[in-house]
Amino acid sequence: MKRRAFLGLGTALVAASAVGGWTLTHHAPQPLLLSARDDGDGQHYAVGYRLDGSQAFATPVRERCHDVYAHPHLPLAVFVGRRPSRESYVLDTRDGRLLQVLASPPDRHFYGHGIFDAAGEWFYSTENDTRDPGRGVLGVYRLEGERLVRHGEHSTHGIGPHQLLWMPDGETLVIANGGIRTEADSREKMNLDAMEPSLVLLHRDGRLLSKEQLPEQMNSVRHLAVARDGTVVSGQQYEGDPLEKVPLLAIKRPGEAFQPFPLGEAQRQVMNQYTASVAIHDDLRLLAVTAPRGNRVFIWDLDSAELRLDAHLPDCAGVGAVKEGFLVSSGQSRCRLYDCRRSEIAMQPLTLPAGLWDNHLRLA
Amino acid sequence: MPRSRLAHTAWIPLLTALALAGCGDDSDPFQQASSALADHVLLPSYQSWAETDRRLADSARAYCAGEQNLEQAREVLLDAQTAWAALQPMLVGPMGEGNRAWQVQFWPDKKNLVGRQVTNLLKAHPQLTRADIENGSVVVQGLTAYEYVLYDEAVDLAAPQVKASYCPLLVAIGEHQQALAADIVAQWQAKDGMVAQLRDFPNDRYAEPSEAIADILRLQVTALDGLKKKLGTPLGRQSKGHPQPYQAEAWRSEASLAMLGAALEGAERLWNGGGQPGLRSLLGDDQQALAKRIDEAYARAREALVALDSPLGTLLADEAGRARVNEFYQRLDDVHRLHQGELAKTLGIQIGFNAHDGD
Repeated sequence: MKRRAFLGLGTALVAASAVGGWTLTHHAPQPLLLSARDDGDGQHYAVGYRLDGSQAFATPVRERCHDVYAHPHLPLAVFVGRRPSRESYVLDTRDGRLLQVLASPPDRHFYGHGIFDAAGEWFYSTENDTRDPGRGVLGVYRLEGERLVRHGEHSTHGIGPHQLLWMPDGETLVIANGGIRTEADSREKMNLDAMEPSLVLLHRDGRLLSKEQLPEQMNSVRHLAVARDGTVVSGQQYEGDPLEKVPLLAIKRPGEAFQPFPLGEAQRQVMNQYTASVAIHDDLRLLAVTAPRGNRVFIWDLDSAELRLDAHLPDCAGVGAVKEGFLVSSGQSRCRLYDCRRSEIAMQPLTLPAGLWDNHLRLA
Repeated sequence: MPRSRLAHTAWIPLLTALALAGCGDDSDPFQQASSALADHVLLPSYQSWAETDRRLADSARAYCAGEQNLEQAREVLLDAQTAWAALQPMLVGPMGEGNRAWQVQFWPDKKNLVGRQVTNLLKAHPQLTRADIENGSVVVQGLTAYEYVLYDEAVDLAAPQVKASYCPLLVAIGEHQQALAADIVAQWQAKDGMVAQLRDFPNDRYAEPSEAIADILRLQVTALDGLKKKLGTPLGRQSKGHPQPYQAEAWRSEASLAMLGAALEGAERLWNGGGQPGLRSLLGDDQQALAKRIDEAYARAREALVALDSPLGTLLADEAGRARVNEFYQRLDDVHRLHQGELAKTLGIQIGFNAHDGD
């Protein structure tokens, strides 16, 4: 398909279904849940589901994916290969058609996360420079028609970068440099005694704006959520002593330093030194975190840090904000909707397929 | 508590409510197995454990008052150790959460933290109270520290002053264990507690019975893997074949094999339900071949354990002994693999997907 034709179709679809402005009311389109999933035989898929359980698509893909990012106004999304994958997949989100297998350059592999800019013209992904293993690279791609074309790269100013997101200005990227060095085709951690995790703010042109670290060297900064006001929350995975008390969540409020998020001792303990996905609900000012090793979902008030939910969910995985609250997927159980609009949070299991959801989900 | 704030009553517009076959249906085999395991295997095992801890607390006081001798005190400890070991595959619910298990047994202890922390604790608090251990490290709160006092060469309990200096610790640990176990049993029996959550679906914890069974099986598989580590580490499987007898669980009291046996027995009770519906009951007529293989795997593991007629440390000292320990390891491995692989797959249960993902 030629670019013009594709764009035309996309625009028509945008107009017809008001994608991007959806609400969960009668007759309005439901959001499309995008995620990486497996089947029981270990086949990997890039999937899209409506929240009533109806499947939009389930496209088999060669490599297991991790995060996914939808184009801001075209019906396409990039499913990013999980490290150390050298492939990501561009899909048509209307029918799951595979538009492009995006290969990383020869000396790079994907780390599992990537994002479009607000205009939808550029795509950025975190990558490993396998000639200098662990050196964090920000891959820069341009959308040409229905294909992403590598345009260049910047340094992430850190080791083993993982998730990246936009700050509200749309020009500044926040990047979690996990600090762990891995080599090509491997998930083995090579530098646990010399980790260098950091939180970096980077202009999209590659300029380093700030780089901050938590005191604990083995506390890998991995996942992020950014609120509308620019508050950044990060989720950590601690590689050190399982009994050590370390901040597994950290926060950078506008104009403030990157610092531990006040976490109750009971919640910290139950996490088993491991957080997975982080999400912020902008309207309700809530923070949700999944801790799959502790099999728990947490929700806090973002401003007061008051605990709102501490619930059991085996192998909980992706979390995303919907109008009512948060949607949470699981590697093992049914997906849940946590309705947070009242002081008592109500949980509803969903009819989506149970289990085998990868660690991130996006709602488009 | 925020967890208890969850309510099911909210109607969420547009999202289709679950209409899952079998929810709250007494004829659903998953519901039957979950409920029966809660009533006939899990809760009774937790209650037995709590009872041994009640006796442990009594024993600590009696021993320190001179009303029990060391041998009697050690026997009561062994009961507590094996009752706890039997729970290893059953750590579904509160005891498996928040590092609580470390308050009971500290393993692996690669650097003899138990010995060092007990010594430091008593140095810092010569008049030790229960509050001192409650506020201290989990390392000094549990059976491993208790065992250290009753067995370690460094502690000469025959000397009255030495015994007097360690007794406050024994009493404090006994009371801590008793309180912990009683609290956990209460959480199992509470309204909307674990027993109810394994019986009535959906609930805050489980959307449907299959989620409860999946949770039970997953924790059983984790425990079976843990048993392999508890045997494999002293056997030298993580140290290029060099035996590490002091890396065994409960090496001081030579209770390692008794504990492994109790844990294996606990796993088997989850499997066969102890005469009531258990995991085995979920296999259909066409899956009886698998059921028999699992029965046999348990039987062979039991036989291999029975053949280990000396303490683990003794067996590890020579080649022939190590070969017999290795035989038991292989049989544990068979049990573990059958649960993690074929049983899970046959029951349609996913064992971990993201939890060890490291991304």
